[in-house]
Amino acid sequence: MSSGKLSHSVAIILKALSLGYQFGFEIMEVTGLPSGTVYPALRRLERDGLVLSSWEAEDEALKEQRPARRYYELTKVGKEAESTAVKRYPLLSRLLPEKLVKTL
Amino acid sequence: MSPMTGRFNAQSFDHVAVMIERLLPIAGRVVPRQKRLDWAKEWQAELWHQRHGDRRVWRERGALHDAVSLAYGLLADAAWLRADWARETVRGSAYSCLWALGAYCLLCAAMERVIEGSWYSFFRVLSAHFFGGFVFVAAPAIFAAVATYPLRPLRCNRQHPGARGLLSTRAKWNLFLAAKVVLTLALGFLVSMVATEPARLLVGRYSDWVELALYALVVTAGMRWALLNQEQRCQRCLRMLSQPTRVGNPSHNFLEWSGTELVCADGHGLLHVPEMQGSWCWYDLWVELDLEFDSGWGGMFGS
Repeated sequence: MSSGKLSHSVAIILKALSLGYQFGFEIMEVTGLPSGTVYPALRRLERDGLVLSSWEAEDEALKEQRPARRYYELTKVGKEAESTAVKRYPLLSRLLPEKLVKTL
Repeated sequence: MSPMTGRFNAQSFDHVAVMIERLLPIAGRVVPRQKRLDWAKEWQAELWHQRHGDRRVWRERGALHDAVSLAYGLLADAAWLRADWARETVRGSAYSCLWALGAYCLLCAAMERVIEGSWYSFFRVLSAHFFGGFVFVAAPAIFAAVATYPLRPLRCNRQHPGARGLLSTRAKWNLFLAAKVVLTLALGFLVSMVATEPARLLVGRYSDWVELALYALVVTAGMRWALLNQEQRCQRCLRMLSQPTRVGNPSHNFLEWSGTELVCADGHGLLHVPEMQGSWCWYDLWVELDLEFDSGWGGMFGS
């Protein structure tokens, strides 16, 4: 997926990831996008090398008494795509708040 | 629960979560087997957050909306994974190559049929041009294409693994090449017929000269493409090789080989294409990797 072809929803997801939102529901919540958009977009971004996913350590999840999450983060190419997307959609920066607290 | 008003309590929220959790194994069947476990684990974790996390935004929207949206998301995600897996499986495969060639042949034949107006006329024109011109041009053109093709026979570093199913690896390789050549020639013939149709209508039989020249061109080009395409396929699964990598330095040719290395995406082997041919690397060399005995490669390409 070239950065020039990024749709608005993919650009929002990239922006959310760059702000520190890391997993599906968190991204859905902050962007307001439905799960039918967020998850396929995350899969596509991962396939295209813009996003990397990794499983949270089980003991960390156990400490908080919840199942382990699958975390997504931007790769180098993803960060470049995100900065291109922000240039293309300047309002993105104002649309999403910075992640301040850790999600339970 | 009162979905009509958009308000709902903790009990209705639990109903939604339970409903979605019941849907999970059903949607999971759509997901490719190798990704199913991770997919289910991820969705279970996400649903836990919906149930136990602080999700006021979601709760304000209504149970019905939440349920429909999540159910759709679950199925869309599973369907996307299945479609992507199918696309990856088909991409570059021998079947997709033959299907594409066959589809183009049918398209050209349909166009020619529409131009001719009737089946009788269609078959009459096709047989007249095939036996009256194409056959005489195709034979020398095939010879020219094969004769002028750079002689780069493939060698395998060891025996191919034993046959799985009815045909051996070598038989599948040869059958695929034969089918591809036949379809390529048929496509060349039909494309020439369709392309010269306006000239045939304008100048009648004089267009035969244009047609003969076009036959020679498409048959030569088609044959060369078919041979080159065959060279760039895995000898085991017949998928297109990918990730061409430059190896070695031409100035070090006395000490080490230099050229390009292509790899099968499923990890069946590597193709060494030497940049400079010498007594020690006269041929393109197919290096077979045995996945059954080499867990390293198997693990690397297993996904």
